[in-house]
Amino acid sequence: MAEEVRIKSRADTMKLTSYENRPWPVTPPPSREEVMKAYEKRRAAEFGKWCEDNLWFYDSWNKPEALRGVRVLEVGLWRLSHMFAGSILAEFGAEVIKIEPPEGDPLRYLAPFGRDEYMFEDVYTGEKVSPEFLHEMRNKYSVTLDLETEEGREIYKKLAATVDIIFEGYPPGYMDELGIGYRQLSQINPRLIYVWIGVLGQWGPWKDKVSKFGQWMLDPFGQVASGFVAKTGYPPDLLDRGKGGDPTRSGSWIADFTAGEQAAVNALAALYWRDYNGGNEGQFIEVTGSEALFEILDFDLSWYGFNESIKARTGSWDPCLNQYAWNPCKDGYMMIGGQTDRLWYRINMCIERDLPLFGRLICEDPKLKEVAARNALDMLIKTYTLTTMWLRTQNRVEVEEKLLEYDIAAGPLLFPDEVAEYPHFVYRPWVHVIEDEHYGHVMYAVPPNAYHMRTPARVKWIGRPLGKDTAEILLKYAGIDQWKLRELEERGIVKIYRPNFENK
Amino acid sequence: MERIERIPMEEQSGPRSREELEANKMPYEEFCRKLFDVGNEFSKPQALKGIRWLSCTMYIFTPHMVSNLAELGAEVIKIEFPRLADPMKHTSPFNEAYVYPLHDDRPLSGQGLGVINANVNKYFITLDYHRPEAIEVMYRLVKMSDGLTECYRPGTFDKWKISYRYLMEINPRFIYVWGGGFGYGPKVFGGSYDILGQAHAGLASITGFHEDFGGFPVKHTNWVIDWYSGTLGTAGILAALYWREKTGLGTMIEFSQVMCAARCIGYTWPLYGKWGIVRQRWGNWDTLLCVHGIICCGKSDYPDSKNPQLRDEARYVMISAFKDEDFKELCKIINRMDLYEKYQKHKDRVEATAQIEIYNALEEWARDKSRSEVTKILTEAGLLAMPVLNDKEIYESPHFRARGTIRWQADPSYGDILVHSTYSAGLLSKTPRRKYWDARPVGADNLRIYRELLGYPMSTIKEWYAKGII
Repeated sequence: MAEEVRIKSRADTMKLTSYENRPWPVTPPPSREEVMKAYEKRRAAEFGKWCEDNLWFYDSWNKPEALRGVRVLEVGLWRLSHMFAGSILAEFGAEVIKIEPPEGDPLRYLAPFGRDEYMFEDVYTGEKVSPEFLHEMRNKYSVTLDLETEEGREIYKKLAATVDIIFEGYPPGYMDELGIGYRQLSQINPRLIYVWIGVLGQWGPWKDKVSKFGQWMLDPFGQVASGFVAKTGYPPDLLDRGKGGDPTRSGSWIADFTAGEQAAVNALAALYWRDYNGGNEGQFIEVTGSEALFEILDFDLSWYGFNESIKARTGSWDPCLNQYAWNPCKDGYMMIGGQTDRLWYRINMCIERDLPLFGRLICEDPKLKEVAARNALDMLIKTYTLTTMWLRTQNRVEVEEKLLEYDIAAGPLLFPDEVAEYPHFVYRPWVHVIEDEHYGHVMYAVPPNAYHMRTPARVKWIGRPLGKDTAEILLKYAGIDQWKLRELEERGIVKIYRPNFENK
Repeated sequence: MERIERIPMEEQSGPRSREELEANKMPYEEFCRKLFDVGNEFSKPQALKGIRWLSCTMYIFTPHMVSNLAELGAEVIKIEFPRLADPMKHTSPFNEAYVYPLHDDRPLSGQGLGVINANVNKYFITLDYHRPEAIEVMYRLVKMSDGLTECYRPGTFDKWKISYRYLMEINPRFIYVWGGGFGYGPKVFGGSYDILGQAHAGLASITGFHEDFGGFPVKHTNWVIDWYSGTLGTAGILAALYWREKTGLGTMIEFSQVMCAARCIGYTWPLYGKWGIVRQRWGNWDTLLCVHGIICCGKSDYPDSKNPQLRDEARYVMISAFKDEDFKELCKIINRMDLYEKYQKHKDRVEATAQIEIYNALEEWARDKSRSEVTKILTEAGLLAMPVLNDKEIYESPHFRARGTIRWQADPSYGDILVHSTYSAGLLSKTPRRKYWDARPVGADNLRIYRELLGYPMSTIKEWYAKGII
């Protein structure tokens, strides 16, 4: 029975596609028996079963946590870098305490395109939170503390004395000026591992800037300063400038994510050294978005050092590998990859079956027979032109099936809704849904470290209303009693979350 | 009268020595510079000293997962197939740039730039796992190592009897990492690359300009997602190591690279999950903040250069003025106070249609300016702006040079190389990362490992060599 729906605003359309009316996944994943058949195809049934038995995602929550007992403070605003670092540790079971000012981290309130209807709501208070913030607030505690007051700082120091790691993301020198930077805290807690995460650096001629009015530098400044943007995107020979043929930033705050994970790696290495490798003391670590990102831009700067080459944009093609690109099909894009001879000839066999021309022009071209010589620009153009000839009449699914038959690394370019429905991803799964106490139905990206045999990373809760854990954490670790807490709340130094249970 | 108790020196607050007093008085920047002591990394301890890791890896993703450990002080042995070795060595941008070992003039010993930075500080040995002799060698290595990372198709190591099922029996403390595309499930044998992860996990679909603006999904410049995933894998290894020290138990880690790309696209998932809204590409602007985007200026900074990367491309600038006062100031500078009147609240100016209007106005204003002029005007007004830097400008930047994150290094095998990795992954004050060498030629450390570590006699090693096992 179709119900008549009248659409007056965007908010009306959202009800139609809401999760309540749209099951996820729409198509159930294949059963374990069906997947066993896939393992058998390459005579790996026994091994496949062993992996499923030992790495099964849904068993994550009944296994121990690798970082149980490690306490972490996460203090900073606006950015995802320190939040991602905190998330990685929190997923492994560390007790991560996010310190926010009483009015909250501004990132809490940033809705995509400023649209209120894209904000998640706390069921008890109606307090709104940005999906971006929510997604990185996994397994964390929210504590509010006004660090601009003397008393707030004293409490912060007490907390800092009891923790193992601090991830800090304030402008350079800000915490030091307040008397709660590494310099001061390392004297209270010599075993403290203090990680500052920024965009350009806290020292040096181009250190992080703050505008005249106090606005911070945020990603994509890191992407811009690392050369990432200059080298990403289509060149004007392929698309007109201003119409897609420009240097392009990542859709996500990728420099923040890169800095965050390197901060986590460095902090964990420092922790290992401190506890198990004779260090017995903490240290100061600095990670920046721009440097963490150019660290992973392959050979680019080395190439400049080699012969002053300035790497240009090459769209979705790769200057170093052939084939290694996505090219248009009938219903989107198909990525095909394979560099070594083994894979190169398999791709060719697969395409040649439908398109004999491809065999004549590609397989038999003497210049294309040598692995490195295939990367010359004219060879890339030739290969991809002919590949696209084959692709353009078919859909992604058909092509993927054909290529996988030849064991070729190939996959369709998927949009988020397609990713969430792709059978393999649903089976494992890669995105998962949590029924959160405060925010209800939340879909999240599963931690890539969830597939550990003994200590998988996991998401236990997602999001936290502002100040939900202020009382508990301060009572437990800052030596503050209930009376003092009430006084602090009255003076606005902390904010304590008070749910209204009648709302639910 | 109040009694003043004598507090022992070490319990008193404040500096405990003259050095500490001076450190406390120092300006903060100088304190940081002194503490990180760039250029003096080799004299400090290593965080992961004593850890030995086997790296049966190829390409970028898994080698980088391990090279993070090697930079932090672990001893890493990279095992390659004889002859072909890591296919990445035959990879170079447009087949142009190769480096050659200083003491080896065989014509094919050159190494493409493609492999640079991914195998830092590793020992290079060769071994053909197919041969029955190889299993014994692998078992010996496993008994004296802490872990292994491999990247072969699932089941391959199992077929060779060197999967975790077998290795946990001979070394229960062993940590085994498989890194690849998909992991268990229906597409278990699907191979993967960096670009495949970007395409498959939705990252590409939200990067680039929207169709309405003439754009297509854009690939992150090469292999960023491979590298990024590798680091995330290192975090997993370190967590497992930490837990092993407590419990004495190793583990197996199945690490899917494609999944990592799905992890870094933030609000995409909650938004889709709850309301079915599919996040779209938004080009060089930001979906959460405005003004916070990259614009194109009319004039180039290097109009006379022969290199098109300078002459034509050095025209883009990042402008950020999303707070109310910043936005007001920006509107004043470009003489469009009407925009400020119209979009006083951030919530209003970050809406899609408002962004189009505002950025168009900015590009209009920048039409007769170069990006350095734009940066200068805005910076002098106290706002945040920065040109989109290219490799030349990053190389010449005094900032990265002073921080030691870009430096020339004399590689023992390949000579002078401009290094932009390792040191840039983070400064650590007490156990800094360091690079001893970038890579070594194929099989360079066969003798060191087989003879000196595993104790095989020279005659056996020669025999293996003749048979093509190593």
